[in-house]
Amino acid sequence: MSDAAAAKEMIRVEGDLTDQTGREMFAAAQGCIRRKACEITVDLSSVKNMDSLGGAWLGRLMANARLKKVNVEISGATGQAAELLDMLAPTLSAEPAPGTRRIGLFEDIGGTFLNALSEAREAFELVIEAVYWAVIGPLTGKGLRIENTLDEMHEMGVRAVGIVCLINFLLGLIIAMLSIAQVEPFGLGIYVATVVVIGFARELGAVMTAVVVSARSGAAIAAEMATMVVQEEIDSLRGMGLNPARFLVAPKLVAMIAVMPCLTVLAMFSGVAGGTLVGVVLLKISTNLWLQQTQTYLKAGDIAQGLIKCVVFAFVITLVGCHNGLRVKGGARGVGLATTRSVVMDIFFIIVADMIFAILFYFVFK
Amino acid sequence: MANETIVEVRNLTTHYGEALVLDGVSMEVRRGEIVVILGGSGCGKSTLLKHMIGLLRPTSGEILLWGQDIARMDEDQLRPMLTRVGISFQSGGLFNSMTVGENVALPIKEKNPDIDRETLDMLVRIKLGLVGLSAAVNKTPGELSGGMKKRAGVARALALDPEILFLDEPSAGLDPIMAAGLDQLILNLRHLLGITVVVVTHELDSIKEIADTAVMLDKGRVIFNGRLDEALESDHPRVSQFFQRKPDAHIAPRNA
Repeated sequence: MSDAAAAKEMIRVEGDLTDQTGREMFAAAQGCIRRKACEITVDLSSVKNMDSLGGAWLGRLMANARLKKVNVEISGATGQAAELLDMLAPTLSAEPAPGTRRIGLFEDIGGTFLNALSEAREAFELVIEAVYWAVIGPLTGKGLRIENTLDEMHEMGVRAVGIVCLINFLLGLIIAMLSIAQVEPFGLGIYVATVVVIGFARELGAVMTAVVVSARSGAAIAAEMATMVVQEEIDSLRGMGLNPARFLVAPKLVAMIAVMPCLTVLAMFSGVAGGTLVGVVLLKISTNLWLQQTQTYLKAGDIAQGLIKCVVFAFVITLVGCHNGLRVKGGARGVGLATTRSVVMDIFFIIVADMIFAILFYFVFK
Repeated sequence: MANETIVEVRNLTTHYGEALVLDGVSMEVRRGEIVVILGGSGCGKSTLLKHMIGLLRPTSGEILLWGQDIARMDEDQLRPMLTRVGISFQSGGLFNSMTVGENVALPIKEKNPDIDRETLDMLVRIKLGLVGLSAAVNKTPGELSGGMKKRAGVARALALDPEILFLDEPSAGLDPIMAAGLDQLILNLRHLLGITVVVVTHELDSIKEIADTAVMLDKGRVIFNGRLDEALESDHPRVSQFFQRKPDAHIAPRNA
């Protein structure tokens, strides 16, 4: 222990300092570093060139030695190696950069709560602005971007007609088959016509349309807005004194509110058509009789329920899409996350809103 | 060995759709040289660079990297060539979802799957140290300034100890101090690591600082190819206009 002179250790690197020689140098130093009571001299006098992997081994040696408070001296480097070492000196002797700080439980809970609060406030502001620019603005002569709105209607509405009709037609088939299987033993098969039409008018037409539209247009809105944020397009709009809510959100909102009822009506027809096909084929009833049964029990109020719902869904889909898009953080990955989150939130809020309607229509507006 | 040709472009012609972008370009890069490809905006500089690393395929002509024609190679043949090449794009091209350190570590880990963690960490710190960014190792690209992103891009390009480094507009949009630092870095890399560098740029100061050889493009053609001092003396109207920063009579669309 007291023999300080003997504790000096010389490690000589022969040839170039590369992965191979660096590894050997590192291994040779381990014993001395473990014993703590010594000084290491790395002799690089025969080294002509070094590469970065060799440098990495030297860096590890120095970091290890620093940890155990062992002195390391590097001597004899010449030429390229010396200059490279000179350039790397601050990196080799620096402490590792601090990692990300761990977040405690309470900080995590509080952070989540505060985030939710600020998100709710942002969402509220967006709703106010969007409604203002979509409804009150145009009424008081602050124009809506008509051309853009028509474009959006085409994209969200016209181009969705096929898929909305197809899905509701198929669902009509399914509902009719399920119901017929249940009631036919009691001879009540004809009442399936009523079940299908009431089901689609009050509920399924609106909800299925909303699900299809949120997957199509809700995702598109979120991705578009998010990409615009990432590419500083939103900032340049603001910089030109243009309000993004007026310029981007309002046309989408107006277009969506205009096309959703149209799609929903088409959805109702398609669903009933599907049900009719099954009824006529399986029960061997005449088409006239089935349609007559359909009409007898359908009231205007049933269709109104579906239409009111679908307008609310239109609000939800547009504003959830815009909200998530505008909140995007980071680049490509952020856009993906915003889009996913938007569609998930769409479907969740559609179902929640639907449930509230179900309660209202059951207890309040019978 | 000193005069060994690393890159040779022969009579390269390429189109984007109908538009002719490069028209019979020929040039070469020798080992240890810093070659600057310069020219006005939209003259095909970046396109030429992307051809040299096989990202774009020419309509006709040859691109020889270490004597092998990459214009006719398929992906599998090209891949081992590209591990000897470092590339940094205009906007850095960093992966936003990873930290700067992970960005630099990615190519190293792909090439040496069984490298141990501590050596990798140290190697990443060294690469970032070369560009003066070792403190940013745990930051994401979103938290960096424009200049830091470019330098991080260069650090990632250096990850595999490339023999040749391609830099697309490394100093565009940087403040003069940062740009000078980057020039110094390029000179250091050449001096210390013997890396050959091909830089696409139109920053005059930077060109004068680093270039051994200048290749000037205009409307897809090479209008000058020679040593920097010759370029500065050149009496070709377009070349002298560039170096003396004289505007066009009116700003005309060059690609029309």
